[in-house]
Amino acid sequence: MNSTWFVYLGFAAALLVVGLYALLTMKNMIKLFIGIEVISKAISLVLLSTGFAKKNILLAQSLVITFIVIEVSLVATALALIINITRRTKSLDVRKLTKLRG
Amino acid sequence: MTGQILLLSGLVFFSILAILAKDLIRSAVSLAVASLFLGIIFFRMGAPYAGVFEISVVAGLITVLFILTIALTKADGDVRESKLAPIIFPLVFIAFVVIDVLVMKSLLHKIPAVPGTAESGSFGDVLWKQRTADLVGQLAVILAGVFSVLALFRKRDKDE
Repeated sequence: MNSTWFVYLGFAAALLVVGLYALLTMKNMIKLFIGIEVISKAISLVLLSTGFAKKNILLAQSLVITFIVIEVSLVATALALIINITRRTKSLDVRKLTKLRG
Repeated sequence: MTGQILLLSGLVFFSILAILAKDLIRSAVSLAVASLFLGIIFFRMGAPYAGVFEISVVAGLITVLFILTIALTKADGDVRESKLAPIIFPLVFIAFVVIDVLVMKSLLHKIPAVPGTAESGSFGDVLWKQRTADLVGQLAVILAGVFSVLALFRKRDKDE
């Protein structure tokens, strides 16, 4: 049981690194957000696998569902922000946001 | 367990594909496939409700939102990513996997397994009776999301 948990943790850590890599290197705002999504997958995997290992799967399941609801709300808001930023800067490049206009 | 490891590998593979694909639509679809894998993993762990939510909401709704956003912003041209990123990634990832396996193996027998208390009752009992405050929070978050999207797409008045 314990070793199974470490397998899940290992894969979740790999997902976390993939997401962090995207956040650190990409410049496209949608790609950056896909990186955040990958990290959120790692988090829900850790939540559920811990519940699975401790035989508390029902509680873990309800926490994962709460997390998914929060994630959807976050995605809707962030994508609306990305559309608005793109309309203003005419580009998806995140570096153009550093230019301040007075 | 072999099936689970294969599914987990598929999840990581499609996540990498979502990050490294040049076409944004391909990235979004790869992310949806990764969510599908995660949903199947949840089903096999004995969490059908979480699996259904993962597949219907994350693989379905979020992908639709992503594709909609990509379609709305498509005309603005592609962003040039640095050419080094896809070259460095395999090196970073392989180095991390080696460290990951070593760390997990070294931790394997050091963290004591806290005995979990087996749950009783159904999923409905846990969600509606034990985690009632969570449901209120979910409602608040959904409302916050709706109002923020409304505020972001508000039309300007004529006199502004």
